[in-house]
Amino acid sequence: MRSIDIHAHLTPQCFWRATENGGDWHSLRREQDSRGREIALVGDRRGGLPPKARWTPEERMTDMDSLGVDVHVLSPYSGFYNYGLDAAVAIATSRDSNDEIAQMVKSWPDRFAGLGTLPMQDVKAAIAELERIMQAGFKGAMIDDHVNGKLLDEAEFLPFWKAAEQSGALILFHQGDGTIVDFRTDRYHLPNTIGNLADRAVTFCSLVLGGVMDACPDLKICLSHGGGYTCYGIGRVDRGWRGLPDSPTKPEQPPSAYLNRFYYDCIVYTEESLRYLIDQVGADRVLFGTDWPYDMVFDWPVSWILALESLSQEEKELILWKNLEKLLDL
Amino acid sequence: MRSIDIHAHTFTRSMFTTLDSGQDWYGMHYEGEGQQSLFIKEGKRVGINPKLRFTPEERIEDMDRLGTEVQVVSLHTQVFGYHLDAAAGLAQAREVNDDIAEFVQEAPQRFAGMATLPVQDVGAAITELDRSVNTLGLKGAELDTVVNGRNWDEPEFLPLFQAAESMGAVLFFHPQPQHNIMLERTNRLALPNCVGVPLEDTLLVATLIFGGVLEKCPDLKVCVAHGGGPACFGLGRLDRGWQVRSEARVNISKPPSAYMRRLYYDTVVMSETALRFLIDSVGIDRVVLGSDYPFVPWDPSPAGWVQGLESLTQEEKDRILWKNLEELLGL
Repeated sequence: MRSIDIHAHLTPQCFWRATENGGDWHSLRREQDSRGREIALVGDRRGGLPPKARWTPEERMTDMDSLGVDVHVLSPYSGFYNYGLDAAVAIATSRDSNDEIAQMVKSWPDRFAGLGTLPMQDVKAAIAELERIMQAGFKGAMIDDHVNGKLLDEAEFLPFWKAAEQSGALILFHQGDGTIVDFRTDRYHLPNTIGNLADRAVTFCSLVLGGVMDACPDLKICLSHGGGYTCYGIGRVDRGWRGLPDSPTKPEQPPSAYLNRFYYDCIVYTEESLRYLIDQVGADRVLFGTDWPYDMVFDWPVSWILALESLSQEEKELILWKNLEKLLDL
Repeated sequence: MRSIDIHAHTFTRSMFTTLDSGQDWYGMHYEGEGQQSLFIKEGKRVGINPKLRFTPEERIEDMDRLGTEVQVVSLHTQVFGYHLDAAAGLAQAREVNDDIAEFVQEAPQRFAGMATLPVQDVGAAITELDRSVNTLGLKGAELDTVVNGRNWDEPEFLPLFQAAESMGAVLFFHPQPQHNIMLERTNRLALPNCVGVPLEDTLLVATLIFGGVLEKCPDLKVCVAHGGGPACFGLGRLDRGWQVRSEARVNISKPPSAYMRRLYYDTVVMSETALRFLIDSVGIDRVVLGSDYPFVPWDPSPAGWVQGLESLTQEEKDRILWKNLEELLGL
């Protein structure tokens, strides 16, 4: 019995150290709000950081022990994608973050594995950093659903997808620089609670309908937050595919045939939705994830999975560790 | 066996009379060859499905072929006039609603009607809803999911909801099929229709819930097109957001899931598994037949598709096909 968490973020210590006493980390700064909460200042964006975001690896492992989580597949905090800043900044912060993850994995190889972050606004630099970290033993990288508004099936990203496929990297999709709901409202936390799920469905459609999945048949993709609205809304996407004009990138199979080409984390919050996801994509495609350490995190995630009545024991084991053990060779 | 379809689009007779004479209809005019395409406003052009021109007789013939007993007809949202100045918006709504009422009166056993409202002027919209329901005999109104970029939780719209509630009018929400929120990201890959439409539906559900509209108007009758999009599937995340974020709790005292069963949802969800999930989430008394006429080629027909579903009981099918709407609309 193990549990491996594909969705666990790291706000690197190098950021905390560099921004101590008003300093900056490659132009990123930090301040406290009136209630003493830490706020990261990234360009013109402000990102609130919970107390756990500052925890050392030792404190993190203590928390993992209390939650019954054996392994964190670490990914950098998505507020530090930095795609909208100068490429030089994103290159520098990516290298720092990834180097820190590499050190954690080296120090505690039984507790941590690594997903890097990449300067996606500069595709060549992103490929170079991906190749560097894969040689250092990373399992892949986490990227946003869009790069400064551009979806990932745009032709300029194809070399990146080829490089990811060739290196065997797992690419985890996770929002960072705003979701589509931000264009409509900033109320009620909807840019997160609806926007994340919408953007994940957009990413699925973009990669499938835009021909990336056909161009790179061995590509390994994980869509966080259960792939968002993808599996529930797939019927309408199939219908849209039928109406698309013929083009060199239009897939021959309907999008629903690609559902089991992707991986999905289990962060859907209700048993009914998790059961639906499993039934749509297959139990071998659903991965344990928690969103540690943010407020949308799964409470007591391992015991939640174990207690679900509509999942078989084998399904629970596949989700908690077997799928990730195999996928990431852990 | 009865069947009542809440989601049936139409254009209107006066619209074509005006356009066919070569005049503008509230700023819209034909473009290109053969009167098949319409310029609506800057950046918005739409094709005209020939069935949207049907006379009542032609439509009944098509409904007989499809086995649909009653259609609740409403103006296709693409020609909604929310962007017009208030006077033109009111004139368009009055003309459309007169036409829809006349259309229904041609065959009152086969049609019911929904009004369109000039919501850029809330006072005028309330007056027109009252006229539509109490003078013209329409069942309520069809509304877009957004008003010129403004959401329905803005306080200015509350009097409209309160008026609809006191009249017992049904509000049927339907987004723009192409010109919706997805255009902020892309218009490629059919994404506005594939993902943008159900996203608009879900945002509408969330807006009515989190905005406190349903809390303030407990007897408001609302139906959302396309099964409310994936709102029911993503409900756990909305509840989690309500638990951990104070800004999600400003208007509502209960988690969003507690309000989901207050709305009605149509069957345009495009798969049996999704429909079963919707029913299990919101309750069988809240799901009603919709066809998206004339745009979705149902196999073999809207009612026939529901009848053929293996995971529904006959009582569930009866509720969806007619019982719920008979009750809701008083048909």
